[in-house]
Amino acid sequence: MAPSGMRGEGHQGLVALCTPWIELEKSCYSDHEIRKLEEEEQLKRKRESLYDEDEAHGKTVIMAQDLEEKWEQKFLQFKAAPRVTDADKSNDRTSLNRKLDSNLMLLVKQKIGNQELWLLPQVEWQPGETLRSTAERAMATFLGDHIQAKVLGNAPYGIYKYKFPRAIRTENNVGAKVFFFKAFLQSSDLSQAELKADYLWVTKKELGEYLKTEYLKKVNRFLLDL
Amino acid sequence: MIVRAQPKKKKKVDVKKEQAQKERMKKKLKKLEKAAPELIPIEDFVTPLKYSESNRVRSLPTLSPEETERRVLLLKKWCLFKQKQDEAEKKAIKALVESQQEALKELRLESEELYEAAIRRDEGLFPFEREGPSYTPPLPGYDPPEGKCIDITKVYTQ
Repeated sequence: MAPSGMRGEGHQGLVALCTPWIELEKSCYSDHEIRKLEEEEQLKRKRESLYDEDEAHGKTVIMAQDLEEKWEQKFLQFKAAPRVTDADKSNDRTSLNRKLDSNLMLLVKQKIGNQELWLLPQVEWQPGETLRSTAERAMATFLGDHIQAKVLGNAPYGIYKYKFPRAIRTENNVGAKVFFFKAFLQSSDLSQAELKADYLWVTKKELGEYLKTEYLKKVNRFLLDL
Repeated sequence: MIVRAQPKKKKKVDVKKEQAQKERMKKKLKKLEKAAPELIPIEDFVTPLKYSESNRVRSLPTLSPEETERRVLLLKKWCLFKQKQDEAEKKAIKALVESQQEALKELRLESEELYEAAIRRDEGLFPFEREGPSYTPPLPGYDPPEGKCIDITKVYTQ
């Protein structure tokens, strides 16, 4: 996609440079800032004229400046979780805790004919099912029954057609059509899942390392990586 | 109401006056009901008056010509970036739609029944909610500070 080059440095750089000045210059003073300005004025007057208007009251006043310093301290004490996880560093592609700014897709190793291939999880359609039920069955087969995922609609998103090798072609069965459905995983807690085959969670860019060219071409059409 | 000292006419006059009053009230009610309902003000679009006071105007330093130049160029870059982003999104959506149309066409060639099942509306799909990632991932075992959230939004009835 065109802006992938812009994504990393360009986009964040632009946003970081744009927002502070626009927000500052187009705004009015907030209540906190007004309070701060007034207190600065008071301090100045006290120092210049040396008479204590407010000290006569004998109570301690919290200045806006003190509040700001307190907030700054608290902010500096907070340590956020890192954006680059351990799984990123070790390139552990079976972990879902990786590439937190992208979408990850499930790939499983399946035996088709006499080849072991990396594919998007698929099962053969059984008569009596709708295509969506087949897709849900595929999910259950590879991720276990307790998986929570939301299938996006009843219609397939893409199709891959291929012809069987001559050896196994019959009169009626020349080839196969693979229909693709999309589903969002609801919770990233897969400890309950019974993963039965070799699996990987990969980003769209990494798909090319595992999938065959023609298959990849069809799959790339309906996967977004914006 | 001053009741005239005419004992015999008292009841009739009162009754008539009461009836007249009731009718006036009814007419007023009808008029109010016929009038169009007042529009509920959108609070976001109304600037509270306290922010138009003069002491609220921010005093800013004047910008050097280099700074204005830098900003103009930055905004142009931003414009270009957004344009490319928009084009990419539109292209992606187009590819999605084409891919789906092709899939449905092939499905129809296979089985009309499955095709019908596929183009049926998915009632459970909307409302669809999904939370996107935050800038940093959530801290495991983070204990957020205690507090109560009191909702003070004004509710208008028509």
